[in-house]
Amino acid sequence: MAKVAIEMVKKAGVNLDQLVELLVKNASAELTTYYYYTILRVNLIGLEGEGIKEIAETARIEDRNHFEALVPRIYELGGELPGDMKAFHDISACPPAGLPKNPADVKAILEVLVGAERCAVRGYTQICNMTAGKDHRTYDLALAILNEEIEHESWFSEFLGEGPSGHFMRRGETSPFVGKFLR
Amino acid sequence: MRTFTREELARCNGRDGAPAYVAYRGTVYDVSKAFLWMGGRHQALHEAGMDLTEALDRDAPHGAEFLEPCPRVGRLLPG
Ligand code: HEM
Repeated sequence: MAKVAIEMVKKAGVNLDQLVELLVKNASAELTTYYYYTILRVNLIGLEGEGIKEIAETARIEDRNHFEALVPRIYELGGELPGDMKAFHDISACPPAGLPKNPADVKAILEVLVGAERCAVRGYTQICNMTAGKDHRTYDLALAILNEEIEHESWFSEFLGEGPSGHFMRRGETSPFVGKFLR
Repeated sequence: MRTFTREELARCNGRDGAPAYVAYRGTVYDVSKAFLWMGGRHQALHEAGMDLTEALDRDAPHGAEFLEPCPRVGRLLPG
């Protein structure tokens, strides 16, 4: 626990309990999404699915990175992860990104993927709004994650025919924004 | 359609086996089955059993479209 860091956040007027709870919920969303994306990715097969598999894998790895990056901040702020993994799953800030009934339906898988990313974009926007100008470190982290979630949303929405995303898939390292929190 | 006073709505807070209802623009919705409303709490910030019109219109990072799939169970009486 980082005593003075906590004091500064409280003094700036942030509701610390709410913030920590939200960080834990979003950490759960990231780790559970990593798990569900594993299942989605292995089902992205065939002529249509294979083209999306690589980008789903990148989003999967980056979501796990987000989990890793959130954990230190949760503990710095005096929070903790639940001891019970089942409880952790159920407090997720986003609904489970389960495999659609017909796993051969690539469009349905894409809809699950884009839905999960959109939920994350809403969640990190909320954390940025709560911390902007008040809790600089959490803001910096949430903004870095938000940058990556918006790119994920763009990738998948492009595949769904919602128009050009303006992005290219990652070249080189994953997590260009969150990477600094992982070193 | 059933009508709710604020006191009646407050009892539907999703705790101790009670259903989780929220009011938005005069309509009462049942959010008990929504994953993100488990136990009558939402995103560490909101609780069921209340009129959340202002919270949804002003603070939420989404609109009322997420209430659409939730059953409408009544009207909130004014006052
Ligand atoms: C600052 C306040 C709020 C935050 C941060 C928030 C955040 C979220 C997020 C991230 C989602 C998932 C969206 C998605 O899947 O893309 C969601 C879903 C939802 N929200 Fe909110 N929300 C807030 C306020 C409200 C309020 C006031 C209401 C009700 C009047 C509400 C009702 C719902 C419902 C019914 C869902 C769907 C839940 C489900 O399917 O499990 N939210 N919210």
